[in-house]
Formats: sequence, C-alpha cells, structure tokens
Amino acid sequence: MASPSSSMSPAAPGLKTYFKSPEGRYKLQYEKTHPAGLLHYSHGKSVSQLTVAYLKEKAVSQGQSAPSTPSSSNVVKSAATRLFVGVNGSRTFSFGGTNGASKAGSGNSRFAGNFGGSAGPSGSSAAANFDCKGSYLIFNAGDALFISDLNSQDKDPIKAIHFSNSNPLCHAFDSVAKDGHDLLIGLQSGDIYTVSLRQQLQDLSKRLVGAQHYNKDGTTNNSRCTCVAWIPNTDGTFVVSHADGNLYVYEKHKDGTADPSFPAIKDPTQFSVAHARSSKCNPIIRWHVCQGSINNISFSTDGIYLATVGRDGYLRVFDYSKEQLFCGGKSYYGALLCCAWSPDDKYILIGGEDDLVQVWSMEDRKIVAWGEGHNSWVSGVAFDSYWSAPNSDGTTDNAIYRFGSVGQDTQLLLWDLEMDEIALPLRFNPPGGSPTLSSGSHSAHWDAICPLGTLQPPPSMRDVPKLSPLVVHRAHSEPLSGVVLTKESVVTISREGHIKIWARPGEGDISQPNPDAVVSSSAISKDRMAMAPTTKVNGSTYKQTASIFLRN
Amino acid sequence: MVMGTTGSKLEKALGDKFPEGERFFGLENFGNTCYCNSVLQALYFCIPFREQLLEYYAENKNVGEADENVLTCLADLFNQINSSKKKTGIIAPKRFVQRVKKQNELFRSYMHQDAHEFLNFLLNELVDILEKEANETKGSPGSSSQSEKVANGPVNLQANGAQKEPVITWVHKCFQGILTNETRCLRCETVTARDETFFDLSVDIEQNSSITSCLKNFSSTETLNAEDKFFCDKCCSLQEAQKRMKIKKPPNVLIIHLKRFKYIEQLGRYKKLSYRVVFPLELKLGNMVENAEAEYSLFAVVVHVGSGPNHGHYISLVKSHDLWFLIDDENVDTVDESSLQTFFGSAQEYSSNTDHGYILFYENLGGRS
Repeated sequence: MASPSSSMSPAAPGLKTYFKSPEGRYKLQYEKTHPAGLLHYSHGKSVSQLTVAYLKEKAVSQGQSAPSTPSSSNVVKSAATRLFVGVNGSRTFSFGGTNGASKAGSGNSRFAGNFGGSAGPSGSSAAANFDCKGSYLIFNAGDALFISDLNSQDKDPIKAIHFSNSNPLCHAFDSVAKDGHDLLIGLQSGDIYTVSLRQQLQDLSKRLVGAQHYNKDGTTNNSRCTCVAWIPNTDGTFVVSHADGNLYVYEKHKDGTADPSFPAIKDPTQFSVAHARSSKCNPIIRWHVCQGSINNISFSTDGIYLATVGRDGYLRVFDYSKEQLFCGGKSYYGALLCCAWSPDDKYILIGGEDDLVQVWSMEDRKIVAWGEGHNSWVSGVAFDSYWSAPNSDGTTDNAIYRFGSVGQDTQLLLWDLEMDEIALPLRFNPPGGSPTLSSGSHSAHWDAICPLGTLQPPPSMRDVPKLSPLVVHRAHSEPLSGVVLTKESVVTISREGHIKIWARPGEGDISQPNPDAVVSSSAISKDRMAMAPTTKVNGSTYKQTASIFLRN
Repeated sequence: MVMGTTGSKLEKALGDKFPEGERFFGLENFGNTCYCNSVLQALYFCIPFREQLLEYYAENKNVGEADENVLTCLADLFNQINSSKKKTGIIAPKRFVQRVKKQNELFRSYMHQDAHEFLNFLLNELVDILEKEANETKGSPGSSSQSEKVANGPVNLQANGAQKEPVITWVHKCFQGILTNETRCLRCETVTARDETFFDLSVDIEQNSSITSCLKNFSSTETLNAEDKFFCDKCCSLQEAQKRMKIKKPPNVLIIHLKRFKYIEQLGRYKKLSYRVVFPLELKLGNMVENAEAEYSLFAVVVHVGSGPNHGHYISLVKSHDLWFLIDDENVDTVDESSLQTFFGSAQEYSSNTDHGYILFYENLGGRS
C-alpha cells in the first residue's frame, strides 16, 4: 500500500499525521474536504462548521419522510443502488465541481486501485443498510453544504447542496427526530431550513430536497444566523441565534406564513423575551439576549439550560423553560466564540478572543479553571464524553474530565481537568475553621457569593487555577474552526472546510492494518510532540501557580 | 480648501446614526502621502490626543508665521476639521505635509514611506517642540498646566548628565509607557533593572497567531548565553543571564506596531510578512504588567495594502461613537465591525488578500471617564 499519509497532508510540511497522548497515539485516519476552486469568490466570508450526524436505521412506517411505501423491498433496493452510485460516483461523474478536486490529488488513481478495499466498509454497509444508516459529517463551505461519510476513506463528499442566494453558516442534527426532519440549516441571509438527512442522501442532486423554510428572505430577522440548535426532548422545537443579538424559537413544520410581529426592543442592553401574539406565528418566541452578535449557543444535555456566548464577551446561562437568566460571566477580555457542556451538565467550556479556554462551574456559578495554551483565538471546545480516567480506583472523588479545544493558531489541544484542581480552592477551609464560614485568607473570587441571575465580572488572573494542556498538536496548516470528539476519533475542521479525523489510540488500527508503516519515518524522527511533562508552554510554571494557590 | 462633495454620501449612509458633533473628512493625497494621511486619521480619532491638540490650538492660535512648526501645523489642521461647518468632506493637509518635508528629508521624496516611521517621527517631533516650549516658559508658574516633572525617578538617564529636566507633556500622557528590562545574572542572581520609555510597542509576529500571543512573546523570558552573554557588574564578567521585558507603566493609549517588514538575509532585502495576526477589539496586558486588569479598547488601525515593503498603500480604520469607518485618503465609508477581520492577514503564504493591519491603537477604557 503506497503511503496514504503523503497524500493525506499535501503541501503541508511539518504537519504530523499523529500525536501522542498518555493513553497512546492518535493517528490521522481520514481527511475530508470539498471540491477545490469552489470557494474563492466567497472566501473568507463564511467559516466552515462541522456537525457529526449518526443516522439510525429507518423506523418502520414513517409517514412523513422520503419515498417510503409499505411494500418495502423494491424501493429499498433502488435507494441502495442510488446511494452506491453516489459514494463511488463522486470520482466519475455528478456533483458539479467534485470531480475537479479529486483530479488534483494523485490519490485518484491510487484510491481507484484500492477501491475494493477502501470502499468495502462503506460500500457494504451502505448496501446492507440501504436506508442510509451510518455516520456522516455535515459541513459548510462557501455557498454549499456538504455531506461526507465519516467512515469512508473517500476524501470527497457524498453530496453537495448549493444555496443560490446565500451561504449556509450553521447546522445541527437531531438524532432522535421522529418525523424525519432532523437536519437544521441556518444561512447568512437569516433564512432557516429543516430537512431530512436521509432524504438528502437518497437524492444526489445538488439541491436541498423536501425542505421546510423558515424566516423566508429574513422577514422576521435578516441578520446572519450564527448558530442553530434543536431543543433536547421536545421533538421538533429549535432555536436560532442571530448576529444582532436575538434568538428565536421555532416549531418544526408549523406553517410560518403569518407575519410574526414582535414588539420593538425597548432597551437593547437588556435581556427581554417576547411571545408571538398569534398562535399561527412561527417563530413563536423571540429572546433579545445582548448587544452585538450571539456567536454560539448550546443546550445542556437535559435541555434545562441554554448557554449563549457573544461579542460582548459574556457567557449567559438561561433556565430555558422559565425564560430567565440563571447565571453567567465575562471573558477575561474580548468576544467569546464557543461554548460546550460537560456530559453531566456540571461544567461549561468557553473559548474566545482572549486565547483562553475557561471552565465555568454550574454549581459555583463562576470560572473555576483557566487554560492557557493557544496562541490565538479559541474557536472550538468540546468535552470528551467517551473518556474515562485510566487510573480510576472506583471512587468518584477524583473524577477527571477530558476536553479538547481548537484555535485559529491551527492547533488542537487536549486537556485534563481533575476534581482536585477545581474543587480544592472552592471547598478549602482551614483546620478548625467553621466549614460554613470562609476563612478570609483566600481571594474574594472564591468567597464571593454569586447570586442567581447575575453576571460575573471578568475573572482576575491571580484568582483562578491555571490549567496546562496535556497535548499540543498543530493539526492543520490553516486556522481551525471546530472540533468534535466521537467515540472513535477526534474530528477537526479548518475555517476553509478541510476536515481531519484523528483515530483514538487503538481505533485506527482496525481499518488501517499497518498504520506504523504508513507514517513516514521522517515524521517520527522529527517528533517534537509537546506533552505534559516536557511541555514548551511553561506547563510547569502554570501548574505551580495553581498549586501555590491551592496551598494558600 | 474644503471641497467636500462626497459628504452627502456618508451622511446618507449614516442617516440619523450620524454621530452628533463629529466630523469625518478625507485627506487629499499629494503623491504617496497615504502613510501620513492614515496616521493623521488614527490620531484624529484618538480623542484624548485630539482634545489636547485643540486645546493647544486655542491657547496658541496667535502664533506668527515665523514660529510655525509641525505642532502648530497639525493643530491648525485638526482645528480646521473640527470647526468645519460641514460634517463631511475632503481637506488638503498641504501645509502640514510641506512642514514635515521641510523638517525631515526622509519624507521629502515621493517614495512610499513607512507609516510607523512617520508616526514615530511625528510623536517625537511634537514632544520636542512641547518640551522646548515648557523649558522656555519655566519660571513663570501657572502659565502652563501642560507639563510637570517626572514623578517617579530617573527615566532615560542617557542624557549625558545634562541638566535638562525631563518634562511630561500631554503627548507623553497620552502615549508614553515605561518598560522595565530585567536581567538576572545566573551566577550571582543579581537582578539588573533598566527602565525605558516607549510611545509604541514593536512586536514580532508569527503566522496564525494573535496580538495577545505576540505580546506574550515580547515579554517572555529570554536566556542570554553563548555568544550573547550579559556583562554582570557584580561578577565583573560576562555571564549567562535571563532577560525579560515587563511593562512598569502601561500607557493610556497603547500603540502596537506589527513588524510586518522583515529583513531577509538570504534575499538581501526587506520582505512583507502577510501573516494572519488576529487582534481583539478589547485587550488586557496580562502577564506583562503587575496589575493587568485595565482593559484597552481598539479605536484605530493603520492598514498596509500591498505585497511588498517598498510600494503599496495605507488606509485606516477608525472607531467613532461605536461605529467603524474605513478611510482611504479622500474617501470615508462606514464599515461593519465584523469587517475588521478581513484585515487580519493571510493564513497561507500566497493569497490575494494584501490588506493587513499594521499599527493598532488601543485606548485604556479606565483612562477616560
């Protein structure tokens, strides 16, 4: 097998195809991208975002979705054929510019040679699961939305959907949608669509198929969509945030032809909620959150809380159903760009223009850890919900959270958060002291009571325990815009829509039998992987600061 | 002199959002004087500087032709803009440019000049004039609230023992900060601290980094060893040492110059680095300074347009009343705050984007009420 690694990172000298972590090597497994030459005219205007979608087996007797009829076998077969054509076809025909891209890489012929092997898994799974069950990467670039098969070696997307009037900027997938409409897409023009992912996969034209259209031509709000999210456990309610500081709640499939006229916002500096006057309206609710853009929103996994971050540098956590601010705080400085909940909803990661990754505690309602390691703005953060501490001795006291972050410095960082680090300064009481009274010896930051429904000022550098990254890896040659941690891999995406899939230790070996032979020898000899003990980013000094503080 | 035909366009674009009492004037280009125009616009929208300069104008407007200098010409120009009946238009900064050319032969030619060099020249020239005036009027107290003695110890002792007392002018108050250069001898552990004043920080840049990161590198600890040892006065010999820069006194207006023009030895010439360096709209100095909680806010950017160091163009982005404006010589346009990101630079070496943030102007928000 000719080394795929060389083709995997073309024209990117100094980029390694693996990185080390305490638990082993993460290896570059696949790369995904979009047809080259498609972007230039819209270059820089839109930033690529990434959604990972797990499409389940199609439930029986779904009325709404796709060309399904009760007499299954015939239909099923044709769908499978079509999909198969799609997966292979990207190299030979269709999908507009797709051909151009694969022509550019020398990979074309080699992949063709390997075809039996490489397409095996995806091809066969597609054939076996003709309803398109599988894992997909959905990403936007320029005026198009692309869908790629996460588990295939194929670099090119299966489907490209072009939007003639505006650029898609954000998307979200609902894996438990009951009626088939599971993919949510927000556009630069403010327009929003919901579609069935399965239906897109079954129709390989460049069009969006069977879409429901909301906020058509920006009638309700014509500012850029910045983020879209399905509200957990609601079946079909979703939220869209805009660049003007508003967010709207929509009900899927509800006809939105009635013009929802919300009252004018009286004080743009204040949070306000307005419900649509008529029950026919869609959107049904408008929240005015802040001045300036809302950059990212995220629901807690239980759906109780909604976190927003924005241009004004504030994280705001709302009790969603009560429509009230629960807590929140300011960045060290500058806008916040991303946020993400821990799997247990106890912590929120935030990242932004102060180059920091910070950890917000829901229990303490303040910043409890300060992560320095990026050399530019932090554009994506994610907890690793598949991580379990390797040395867990059964007690939960020392639970470790693992999380990842990516930045405009082209780097992927992995971090560990130990309970000690964040809990000690909070719970510390001097011996003999009353456990309920604060000693007064440590900083006001820790003693201050953070009342519900208020926003905290920026953390002071002295007061917050510092974290150092466990892994620092230059993952791409371009600034990054997002990271997703799946069970098998870490997926990174650059602003321009190049995706890399880093298989977790042990995972990549299954599909690539001889990965070590694949990694070029020069890459190994030049290994300058920064790991915790030898980190170049002053890891030890930061740790020291933290521990001094802990002893305080 | 005031021509102003484009005015209506900007006024129309702004509508009732037009900042009350504010003036937006393009500046005519006299053959490659965009380096000058871009810096002048940044300084005009530096409110503490403008206010002081207009005050100076009011106090000195009866100065005769013979006493004309760069300061009086600049004050004249700012006053002309500020007191204009029209809200928008174009002004020809002819007298100012002539004065600058007279004063400094570097700017006499029609060649492309470096905006940072010009800014440096201008601020130092203003300071020289103000210091001279302050020394002349010394002994007549009460006449000048514009200068006072240095409060904290000797700054710039290189004055060769001359009896010249350093004065702090309003230009100093706006832009001057103090850096401490700390060197620790690794043998005797003695720390030698040397203070330096600055009007701007010139920072090295790296590809795909942020201003925060550039500043961190600027003040990061550097080890002096091998060929580059430090002469320790206590050990009386060359020793290995550790050196770091700290900001002892942060300036009110922080000017950051990105070193985009780098001498490449192999090429034997300067090359423009088009690196993508993101700059936040708000900034803190973090580890560089003892008490880092003061927040700065970006209000102007001088942008270099072009692929090389010896040619190209300068434009400026300025903020006024929370609106951003792009000023390209005569033309003034409103731009969205989010369009500032198009001036960060290129993530990859070869790119069609050649508009790069070159000099950043941040104002301490706590410094102005």
